[in-house]
Amino acid sequence: MDFLTFLSRRLVRLALCLVAVSIITFTLLQSAPGNFADIQRVTSGASSIGGTGTEQMLAESLSRYGDDVPAWQQYLTFMQGVATWDMGPSYRYAGRAVEDIIGSAFPISATLALLAVTLALLIAVPAGVFAALRQNSKADHSTMFLVTLGNALPSYLVAAFLIVIFSASLGWLPSSGWSRPEHLILPVLALSLGPAAVLARYVRSSMLETLREEYVTAAMAKGGPYRTVIVRHALRNSLIPLVTVVGPLLAALMTGTVFVEALFRIPGLGYYAATAAASRDMPLLMGTVLFFALIIMVVNLAVDLTYGFIDPRIRAEGGWGRSQLRKTSTQPA
Amino acid sequence: MTLTQRAEPHDPPESDALLSVRELHTEFLREQAEPLRVVDGVSFDVERGKALAIVGESGSGKSVTVRSVLRLLPRTARTPSGEAWFHGRDLLSLSQREMRRIRGRNIGMVFQNAAEAMNPTLTLERQLTEHLLWHGICGKSEARERAVRALGDVGIPEPERRIRVYPFQLSGGMRQRAMIAMAMVTEPALLIADEPTTAVDVTVQRQILDLLVGLKDRGTGVIMITHDLGVARYFCDQAVVMYAGRVVEQAPTSELLDTPRHPYTKGLLGSSVEVGGQERPLLPIPGSPPDLAHRPAGCAFHPRCAQAESPRCQEEQELISIGDERAAACWKAETGR
Repeated sequence: MDFLTFLSRRLVRLALCLVAVSIITFTLLQSAPGNFADIQRVTSGASSIGGTGTEQMLAESLSRYGDDVPAWQQYLTFMQGVATWDMGPSYRYAGRAVEDIIGSAFPISATLALLAVTLALLIAVPAGVFAALRQNSKADHSTMFLVTLGNALPSYLVAAFLIVIFSASLGWLPSSGWSRPEHLILPVLALSLGPAAVLARYVRSSMLETLREEYVTAAMAKGGPYRTVIVRHALRNSLIPLVTVVGPLLAALMTGTVFVEALFRIPGLGYYAATAAASRDMPLLMGTVLFFALIIMVVNLAVDLTYGFIDPRIRAEGGWGRSQLRKTSTQPA
Repeated sequence: MTLTQRAEPHDPPESDALLSVRELHTEFLREQAEPLRVVDGVSFDVERGKALAIVGESGSGKSVTVRSVLRLLPRTARTPSGEAWFHGRDLLSLSQREMRRIRGRNIGMVFQNAAEAMNPTLTLERQLTEHLLWHGICGKSEARERAVRALGDVGIPEPERRIRVYPFQLSGGMRQRAMIAMAMVTEPALLIADEPTTAVDVTVQRQILDLLVGLKDRGTGVIMITHDLGVARYFCDQAVVMYAGRVVEQAPTSELLDTPRHPYTKGLLGSSVEVGGQERPLLPIPGSPPDLAHRPAGCAFHPRCAQAESPRCQEEQELISIGDERAAACWKAETGR
C-alpha cells in the first residue's frame, strides 16, 4: 500500500463517518423536545417586542425547510447544502448564513486553540523533562505537585481567577472582547494551563521510560555530551507518543470551548454551537456538529501521518513511506 | 598477572598493561538499608592485543565492573573506589567531563543486544558518525566515509546503501555487526564487549567472534563479559571468574578451563554443555547465586560448594597465588584438589 492509496482510503472513510454523524445528529435533533419556533415565541413573547417582525422572519427562514416538509426531505435539503457549502441562513441569527458563521467563528477558535496548545507544550516539555531527569527529588515532587494542581483546576475556574486578578484587581488586561491582541492573553492562559499539566505528566513518564533504554546508555558510552544525548536520543523518542495526545487536544480546543468563550465574550465556534443547541437552530447546529466531526477526523488523520513521518518504524510497518526505505527493508539480510 | 600492592596512591602500576584495575569497589545506595556492595575489590589487567574474559553467573557483578570502569553507572550507584589505570590516568579519579572524552574515543563498548543498544529512530549514518563529530576526530563528510568503511570492515554488504537505513531494517546478525562497527569506527584502544554473542544465533556468533579476533590481532585490547566458557576458550587469553562481586579465580583461559582450581570454576565447567562434552554428565551447581544483601559469611560460595566441609570455609578467602599467572580464592586451591 503506497502513500496515496493509504490517504484515499482514509478520506473515503472520513466521508462515510461524516454521513453517519449527520444522520445521528439530525435524528437526535428531531426527537429532542421543542422546536426553534416554540422556543423563540416563548423567549421573545416574554420580552414583548417579538411582534410581527419576528414572526415574519421566522416564516422566511423556516420556508427553506418548512413545517409541512417531511423530516427526511429536510435532511436531504440540508445535506445538499453541506455538499455545496451553502447551508442557508441560521434560524437564530437570521440573515446570516451558517457557512458564514462557521467561517468567521472558526478562525477565532483555531487561533485560541493553536496558541493555547503551543503555550501548553512550551510549559509541559521543559517541566516534564526537568522532573524526569531529577526523578524522585524535591524538584520532581514539587513540579508534579504544581502539575496536579493545574490538572485539577477546570479552565473556566482558571479563567475566572485570571479575570479577577488581572482585569478586576490589577486592571492590566481586558476581561472581554475580541479586537486587540491583548484580548488573547487571558483566554489563552486559561485554556493552556490544564493541558500543560496533562502534557507534562506525559512527557515525564515517557521520558523516564526512554531514559531507561539501553541506547541512551550506549550514546553515553560513545562519549556523547549529556545534553545532546538527552535531546537527540531520549527526548526525541519520548515525544513521539505525545503526538497522539496533542492531536485530539488541539481538535477539542479548536471546536470551541464553550465556557471560556462565554466568559471572555469571544465569538468562537463553541459559543455558536451552544446557542444553536439551546435554541434548536437546526441548520446552525447541524453545520457546527458536522464541522466539529470533520476537524476531529482531519486532526486524527494528521496525527497518523505525523506519526509515520517522525517514527521510521511505523512508516515501515504501514508500508507507505519513501520508496528508498521500502526497498531497503525488503532486502534479504 | 600478579597482584602488586601499590606503594603510593595514584601512581600508575609498574605494569605495561593497557588497563589496570585495582581494588575496584562499587556500591549501590538503597533506601533505609546499608549500601549494596555489588563489586567488592576486583583487580585485573588487560594487555594490548589480548582479550580478558570476565565470566560468572548473572548477578555476579560482571557488567557493573566494566560499567564502573567506564563510569556509566545508574544514579543510585556511588562513585566507584579503587583505581583503573588507562593510558597513565586513573579513570576513577577523572571528572565526568574528562571521562566523556575517553568514552567512545579510547574505550569502545559493544552491548549484548543491538536491537536495544541502537536508537531505533536514527539512521546508521547518524549513529556511526555522531561520536566522531563529538570527539572532533574528523569532519562530517570524512566521518561518513569512515562509517561506510567500518560497516564494510564488519562484513556488511553494500555499506554505502545500508548506512542510510534504520537499525530495525537490518537482520539481527547484521545489526550486531553494525553495533561493533559503531564501537570500532573511532579505533579505540580498548573494547568492552558485554555478552556480544548471547543474543545472536550460533552461526552469527562465530562471525562476531572472528570479527573480534581480527580487532585483537590489530592490537586492540578486549574485555569480554560472557557466561559462555566455549566463547571464552575460543577468544580470550586471560580469564577472571567472578562470584558475588569478587574475583574467585584468575588464570590464562586454557589453564583455567583445563585445570580449574576454585570449586565455583569447576562447577561452571561442569554445568557447561560445550566444554563438558557428551561423555561427561552435566553437573549443574546446586542453588543459586546469593542475594548480595545477605552475603554468606566467609567464602560466599560455601553454601553451594560440594567441598565445603571445613570450618575454614566460614572464613573470608583471599586470592592465593598459584604459580606466576594464577590465583584462586579458596584455601584448597593450593593443594590442587
